[in-house]
Amino acid sequence: MAEVILRSLVKRFGSVPAVDNVSLQIPDGEFLVLLGPSGCGKSTILRLIAGLEDATSGEIVIDGDLVNFVDPTRRNLAMVFQNYALYPHMTVYKNVAFPLETAKMSRDSVKEAVSRVANMLEITEFLQRLPEQLSGGQRQRVALARAIVRQPKVFLMDEPLSNLDAKLRLQTRIELMSLHERLGITTLYVTHDQVEAMTMGQRIAVLHEGKLQQLGTPAEVYDVPANKFVATFMGAPPMNLIDGELQNNGTEWVFTREDYRLVIDKVQMNIDEDALLSSKGTVSLGVRPEDMRLASSESKGIPGVIRFLEPIGSDLFVTVDVGPHSLQVRLPPKTQVATGDRIEIEFDYLKAHIFNADEENLQLT
Amino acid sequence: MDTSKPGSNHETGHVFYGRGRSRYLFGNRIRAFFAYLVLLFFVVFAVGPVLYLISPALRDSISLFDYPPKLIPDDPTLDNFRFLFDSTRYLSWALNTIIFAAGTTIISLFTNVLAGYAFARLQFPGRNILFFLVLSTLMVPVAAVLAPTYLLVREIGELPIIGRPFFGLDTYLGLILPCTVSPLGVFMMRQFISTLPVGLYEAARIDGASEWRILFKIVLPLIKPALVVLGIFVFMITWANFLWPLVAASGDDYRVLTVGIASLKGQFVTHWGVLAAASLMTLIPVTIVFLFFQKWFVQASMAGALKQ
Amino acid sequence: MADSKDHVTNGVPTGQEAWAQLQLSLDQYRRMGNQYRLRTLKRASGFLAPYMILWLAFLAIPVGWAIFLSFNDDGVLAPRYWVGFENWARTFDDTELTQVVFNTSIFVVLAITIVFGLAIFLASLINNHRRGENFFKVTLYFPLLAPPILGAMIWHFMLHFDFGIVNLIKVGIFGGEGVNFLGKNPRAMGSIIAVEIWRGLGFWVLFYLAGLQSVPGELLEAAKLDGARSFRRFLRISVPVLRPLFLFALVIAIIMNFQLFDSVKILTDGGPRMGTATIVWFIYRRMFAFQDTGLAFAASVGLLIGTMLLTLAVFWLLRQRSKGET
Repeated sequence: MAEVILRSLVKRFGSVPAVDNVSLQIPDGEFLVLLGPSGCGKSTILRLIAGLEDATSGEIVIDGDLVNFVDPTRRNLAMVFQNYALYPHMTVYKNVAFPLETAKMSRDSVKEAVSRVANMLEITEFLQRLPEQLSGGQRQRVALARAIVRQPKVFLMDEPLSNLDAKLRLQTRIELMSLHERLGITTLYVTHDQVEAMTMGQRIAVLHEGKLQQLGTPAEVYDVPANKFVATFMGAPPMNLIDGELQNNGTEWVFTREDYRLVIDKVQMNIDEDALLSSKGTVSLGVRPEDMRLASSESKGIPGVIRFLEPIGSDLFVTVDVGPHSLQVRLPPKTQVATGDRIEIEFDYLKAHIFNADEENLQLT
Repeated sequence: MDTSKPGSNHETGHVFYGRGRSRYLFGNRIRAFFAYLVLLFFVVFAVGPVLYLISPALRDSISLFDYPPKLIPDDPTLDNFRFLFDSTRYLSWALNTIIFAAGTTIISLFTNVLAGYAFARLQFPGRNILFFLVLSTLMVPVAAVLAPTYLLVREIGELPIIGRPFFGLDTYLGLILPCTVSPLGVFMMRQFISTLPVGLYEAARIDGASEWRILFKIVLPLIKPALVVLGIFVFMITWANFLWPLVAASGDDYRVLTVGIASLKGQFVTHWGVLAAASLMTLIPVTIVFLFFQKWFVQASMAGALKQ
Repeated sequence: MADSKDHVTNGVPTGQEAWAQLQLSLDQYRRMGNQYRLRTLKRASGFLAPYMILWLAFLAIPVGWAIFLSFNDDGVLAPRYWVGFENWARTFDDTELTQVVFNTSIFVVLAITIVFGLAIFLASLINNHRRGENFFKVTLYFPLLAPPILGAMIWHFMLHFDFGIVNLIKVGIFGGEGVNFLGKNPRAMGSIIAVEIWRGLGFWVLFYLAGLQSVPGELLEAAKLDGARSFRRFLRISVPVLRPLFLFALVIAIIMNFQLFDSVKILTDGGPRMGTATIVWFIYRRMFAFQDTGLAFAASVGLLIGTMLLTLAVFWLLRQRSKGET
C-alpha cells in the first residue's frame, strides 16, 4: 500500500512561500495530476515528496511512514525529470541498471530486470547506445525504464512530456496511461497543460501561488470549479466572466448591470444565500463559451457587438463586446454572423456559475 | 564569413574606402613580414638559451675559458654527463623529484576532488563561510608560511610513531604534504563540479546512490579533463619548487633536482660543464612530454591564471 | 452529503485514524530534524576532512603562528619571548629591509611593464597573423617548462663574463672587454629582470592571446565597417573589453613578482652589496642564516598582509567590473 499523505506542507524560500499549507491524501494506485501555471509550487511539492528539498514545516507520509527526515535515497520512489537526467557517460543499459546495481543486486537479476523493462518500453535495441545518440522520445523511454525497474512505491513525474513534439507527446501520453494501468503504482504527475491533466488524471489538484485551489476529478474541476482561478484556468478558451450585482427578489435572482438585467428563477440557479449576503451582492457571472448561444428571438439575453470571428472549421469562435467585457462564444461553424452585428447571448442557467471576489456560490445540485 | 579571424580579411584584399587595391595588399604583406620577423626573434630568444647549453655541456669546463672563445668545441665529449651520473647524486635527485611531484599531485587531486564535491553539491551548515575561509588563503605567499611550516614539520618529525622516518624533515611525506594544500585546486574542482547539471545528482540520489557512489561513478568520469589539467598544473608547480625543498629536505638522501642542481654551483669553484649537462638532462624529458601533450599544458597554465 | 458549504473539497478527511496517528509533537519534530541535519554534517565532514585537516595543519596554523611569532623573538632554536611591537617597529628602521623592499618594488614595476607590454604586443601580432599560431604558442611557452632556478642557471651561462654568449657577441662585434653582468649594480638587477622576462613572456603571451581571441568577432567587424584601422580597433574595442582581464592579470603578476627568490639566490645571492636582494631572499636569510627570526616573521607577515590586500583588491575589482558593465 503506497498511499501518500501531505499534511499542512509549507516550503519557504526566504520569506516567499512556494508551497503554502497544502494538504493532500492520495490513495494507493491513484494517478494524481498536479496542475497549475508556472511558479505555482507544483514542482516544489514533487521535490519535497522526493526529498530533494526540505520542508519548512508540515509532514509527508508515504505508505504509513513519516518521510520528512529520510534521505531521498531511502524513500523508495522513482522520478522522471523534465530533461530526463540520464547519465551521459553510461550506456542505456547501465543507466537503467544503475539503481539496481546501487542496491547491490546480483548481476543476473539485474540483467533480467533490465531486459524485462526494456521489452516493456521497447528500448531493447539501443541498450548499448549512449544517451547522446538517442532522440528525445527514446531518451524519455529510457528515463521511464530507469524509474520502473526499481518497482518503487510512488512514481513522480515532473512535466516529462514538455520536451517532446506534439505528436510524440500524444503517443507517450497513451503509453504512460497504459503503463499505469498495467503497473498500478501510485503516480504524481506535474504539468501546466490542462489537456494532459484532463486526459491522464484520475484526480486533479489545481494549484496557484503555492495554495491548493481544488482537488477533484477532471469532471468536477471542469464543471464545478471551486473558485475563479480554477474556473478560468480550465478550459480553452477560458470561461467568460461578467461583473454585476445579484439581488435576492424573493423567488427570483436579479442580475443587474448598467445596460441590462437578467431575471432568473430560483429553481434554475441554486445559490448560497448567506454567503452572498456577506459579500454584499457584487458578483461575477461565469459561463463557458460552449454553454452560450445566440438568443432565440423570443427570450431576452445579454446584448453585445461582435468584434471578431475565428472560424476553425469545427466551430466558430466569436468575440463579443459586452460593455467593458470581451466574451467568447462558441457557435456552430456555419452560423451567419458578421463583425459589427448586434446580437444577444443567452445561456443555460444551470451551467452558469456565480463568483464573489473568489469563491463560487452555486451549490451542487 | 569567418568572423574568428579578424586578420584574414586583409588577405582577400577587400577594398573598403577607396584605397588603391594594390597598395592595400602590399602594405599588408610588409606588415605581415615584419610581424613574423619580430615573432621569430622572440622565439629565438625563448628557445635559444637552452640550445646554447649544448656547447658547454659537451666540452671540458676548462676549455670554456679559452681565449679566443669558441662556440663549437674542438673535441666534444660526454665526460660531463658521465660525471653527472657517476659522481653526483643526480639520479637520486631525479627520483626524489618524481616522488615528490607525483606524490603531491596524487594526494592533492584526491583531497581536492573530495572537498570540491562537498563544497559544490553537499548541503551543510557553514558551507559558505568555510569556503570563503579557505579561499582567503589562496594567495598566501610561500615565504610567509615557510618558517612556521618548517618548524611544524620538524616538531612532528620528533614525535614517536608518526615522526621520522614516516614524517618530518628529510622525509617524503614531510616534503609532500605541506605542498598539497593550495586552495586553488579546491576552487577549481568546485567550479567544475558545479557546472554539471543538477538533475544528474538528483536522479542519482533518487536512484538510491550514496554520495560516495555518486562521486565515483558519476562525477569523476565526467570531470576527467579538469582532473588532467589540475594534475599537470600541480605537477609542474611542484617539480619547479625550490624554496621549500631547500629548507625541508636539505639532507643528501632526499634532495630534489632544483636544490641539487643549485648545489652544483659552488661558492668558489663551479663545474660549468656538468652544470650545463645537468640542466639539459633535466629539461629533455619534460620537453618531450610537453610536445606530446601541448594542449593540456597550455590549458593547465591558463587554469592557474584564469580562475575567474 | 456532508455540509455542502465546504465548497473547496480537498480530499483531506477529518477524523481519520491514520491521519491522527501521524501527528508529531513539536519536540519530536525538532529532534528528528536535528538528527537529519547531524547526518548531513557527518557525511559532509567525511568528504572535507582530508583536505581540511591538511589545510589547517599546513596553511591555516602556520599563518596564524607566523603572525604570532612576529610579535616574538626567536622561537626557532631558542625559546621564544614576547616583544610586542618591537619587531614591527624595527621593520621601519632596518636599513636592509627598506633597501630590500625598494629593490623588490623596482623590480616589480620594471618587470611587469616590460613583460606586459611585450606580451600584449606579441599577442596581437599572433592574433592578426594567424599563420603558425600553434608553432609560436608552443615555442614561446618553452621557457615555462624550466623551473625558475634552472632558468636562472641557464642565464648564468649566457651572461657569464668569460664565456657567456652575450659577452661573446658583444666582444665579437663591439670589441673591448666583456661586461660583468652580475657583479655590478644596477646591471645585476637588469640581468635578473632579463631572466624573469625570459621566463614569464610565454605565459603572458598565451594569456593575452586567449584574451584577445575572446573579444567577440562581431565587435571588431562592426568597427572595421565603421572605418577603424587596426590600431584604432585595438585601442577602442579590444582594450575596453579586456580591461577587467588586464586588471586581474596585473594584480596576479604583482603578487607573484613580489615573491621573487630563486633567480636572486642563484645568480647573485642578493649581491652585489644588496643590490638585488628581494623581500623573500631577506626573509630566508634572516630566518635560516641569521636566526633573527622576529624581524623575519614581521617581514613575512608584512608580505602576507600586502598580498591579501591585493587579493581582496582583485575580488573587489572583479565585482565592480561586473556591476559596472552594461
